[in-house]
Amino acid sequence: MAASGGKTVGYFLWKFGNCCFNLNTNFLSPTPQVLSRQLCVSAVLHRKNLAAAGSEKFSEEFIKKQVEEFNIRKRHLANMMGEDPETFTQGDINRSIAYLFPSSLFDNKAKPLMKVRLPPGLLFLSHVSFQWGADRRPFHFLFYTGKQSYYSLMHDTFTKALAVEKHQDRLRGKDLFTQAAKQMISFLTFAISQGNDRLTQDQRLGATPILPCCVSRQHARFIQLMERLLSLPYCSVEEDFVQRYRRQLEIQSSKQQVQPLQYDQHGVAYSTGDARRKTATGTVLLRDSGSGSISINGTNYVHYFPVLQDRSVLGRFDMQCIVSGGGHSSQVGALRLSISRAMLSFLTEVQVETMRQAGLLTPDPRIKERKKPGQEGARRKFTWKKR
Amino acid sequence: MAASLTGLLKPWTPRVLLVRWSRYNPYYLEPGPRKEVYHIPETELTPEQKEERELKSVRPIKAATNSVTSSVFNDPVLSKFVNMMMKDGDKIIAKGIITQTLENMKRKQVEKYHKAPEGKKAEIECNPYAIFHQALENCKPVIGLTSIQKGGKFYQVPIPLTDNRRRFLAMKWMITECRDNKHRRTLMYEKLSQELLAAFSKEGNVVKRKHELHKMAESNRAYAHYRWW
Repeated sequence: MAASGGKTVGYFLWKFGNCCFNLNTNFLSPTPQVLSRQLCVSAVLHRKNLAAAGSEKFSEEFIKKQVEEFNIRKRHLANMMGEDPETFTQGDINRSIAYLFPSSLFDNKAKPLMKVRLPPGLLFLSHVSFQWGADRRPFHFLFYTGKQSYYSLMHDTFTKALAVEKHQDRLRGKDLFTQAAKQMISFLTFAISQGNDRLTQDQRLGATPILPCCVSRQHARFIQLMERLLSLPYCSVEEDFVQRYRRQLEIQSSKQQVQPLQYDQHGVAYSTGDARRKTATGTVLLRDSGSGSISINGTNYVHYFPVLQDRSVLGRFDMQCIVSGGGHSSQVGALRLSISRAMLSFLTEVQVETMRQAGLLTPDPRIKERKKPGQEGARRKFTWKKR
Repeated sequence: MAASLTGLLKPWTPRVLLVRWSRYNPYYLEPGPRKEVYHIPETELTPEQKEERELKSVRPIKAATNSVTSSVFNDPVLSKFVNMMMKDGDKIIAKGIITQTLENMKRKQVEKYHKAPEGKKAEIECNPYAIFHQALENCKPVIGLTSIQKGGKFYQVPIPLTDNRRRFLAMKWMITECRDNKHRRTLMYEKLSQELLAAFSKEGNVVKRKHELHKMAESNRAYAHYRWW
C-alpha cells in the first residue's frame, strides 16, 4: 500500500514540475530502501524527471553524492542486519533486502532493490569522467564526432607516424639515415622468451579494451594505420605507444593436453583417445607393439570399413577401437580424431604441431543443418506454384 | 581478449544466416597441405612462408575432411572430379566409376603399348593419372564469356577466367558430355575413358566445345571494353 501510495503521490507531484522531485524524496524517505524504490518506480517517469531536471543530474558531483549516500545507507543496512559494515558486499545487500522485503513477484525489475543507480540518460561508464563542464561545453575537441575515443586514437597514431617521418627527414638531412635501423618487432614475428617452455608467445596487435564502442571495421582501420606506422624504418622511436595497444596471443599448440604414456603389465606403452563426430563416438586403445593389427568392435578394420576411402591408417601401432553411432563416414572421422589424440603421447612437439596444422586435432563441428519452417528441408523449398 | 578468444574457438553459427556459411568461426584457418611442406627447415623458407607459418601457429585450424588424407594416392583434382560426379551424396558409386575408368584407360594404353612398334613405345603414356591430368588441361578454356547488359540489350562479353573456374568448366563439360552423348548401352566408365583418351590427344567433343568457346570469344572481341572490372 505504501508503495502504491508513494507512486500516486509521486505522479501527482510530478505534474507540478521538477521542484517537487526533491520534495518527493524527502517526504517519503524514512529508510534507504524506500528511497531507492521511489527512484525506480517507473522507468518512463524517472527518465522524464531527469530530462526535466537538467544538467545538474549529469554532473560529476551529483554522481559522487549519490555514491556517498549509497555507502551511508549500506552501512545502516549492515548495522540493521548485525553484520560488519566494512565487508558488506552487493550480494549481501541483495540478500538482506530479499529477507526484509520478501516479494513473490516474478519480474526482477518489480522486486525491491538497493543499488547505486546512475540516471538512465547517462550513456557512459561510471568510471569515465564527464565529457563537458559546468558551462556545458565539451572538453574534447572531437566530442561531436560521436566516437571521440576512437577518432582521438586514430589522430594520435597518425601524429606519431608524422613525427617518425619528420625524425627520418632530419636524419636524412644530417646523412645519418640507415635502412638497417633497429627495427621494431613487426606484427608477426616471434618474441621468444628466455625460458624454453611451450608457452612461447607471439606478439600481435589485438583488440584494445580501452575503446568502449569499437566496431570491427573501425578496429580493422586502426590496425591498418598501426601497420603503416610499423612499416617506417624508424618506428622504434614510438615503441611505447604501440606496445600499449598490443596483446599477446598464446600459441595454439600449448592448449593441447597431452596425457603421459601409460604402461601395462607387460611393459608395453599404450594410450587411449576418444572423440566424437556428428553423433558417432569412437574410443581407441593404441599399443606400441609393432604388429599393426587393427580391430574395430572386434572385427578386422578391412571388414568393418569396406570403403577404401575410410581406410588410411598406419601400421606401427596396435589398435583396439570401439565405435558406435552415426554412419560409416562419421565413425571414420571420430576414429581418426581419437587415434590422433591417442598418438599425441607418443610424438614430439614438432610432430604434434604438424598434426595440428594438418587439421588432424580439431574436432569437426559440422552437424546436420536444421530444417526450417516453410521449407521442406534445410535448403529445399516447397514446389513453387504460380497459382 | 581471453574472453573473446574462447568465444572464437567454439562451434559457431553466424548471426545472419547467409546461403553459404560454415560452423567454423572465420577466425579458423584452412588445414595445411602435404607432409613435405613441414619438412622444409627454417632456413630455406621465404619471408611469406615464414609469416604464414607463424600465423598458423597462433590461429586455430579447421579439421581435415574425410576425403583429404596424407597418403601418396590422395589427389585433390581427382577428389574434386569425384565430388562433381557424385549424385545424391553417393560417393561410393562415384569413386567406383572413377576407379573403373582409370583401370580401363590403363588397359587400353597397355594394349596399345604392346601393339606399337619399338620406336613408338616410349611416346605412349601408360599412367592413368597423368592421362587424366593432361586431358583435363587440354579441356580447360583460356577465356570465357559472360552476359553483360548495356543499353537494354545483353551482350556476350569475353572475360578472363580464374584457375578454379577453368578447372570447374573442364570437369563440368566432361561429365555432361559423358552423361548425354552416349549410347544407351555403354556404361559411364567406358564412355568416360574414351573421352579422356580423346582429350589427351586433343580430339573429341569436349576439346571441340572448348575451341568453339574460344571462337565465340574471338568473334565478340568488339565488346571486350564493356567489361568494367
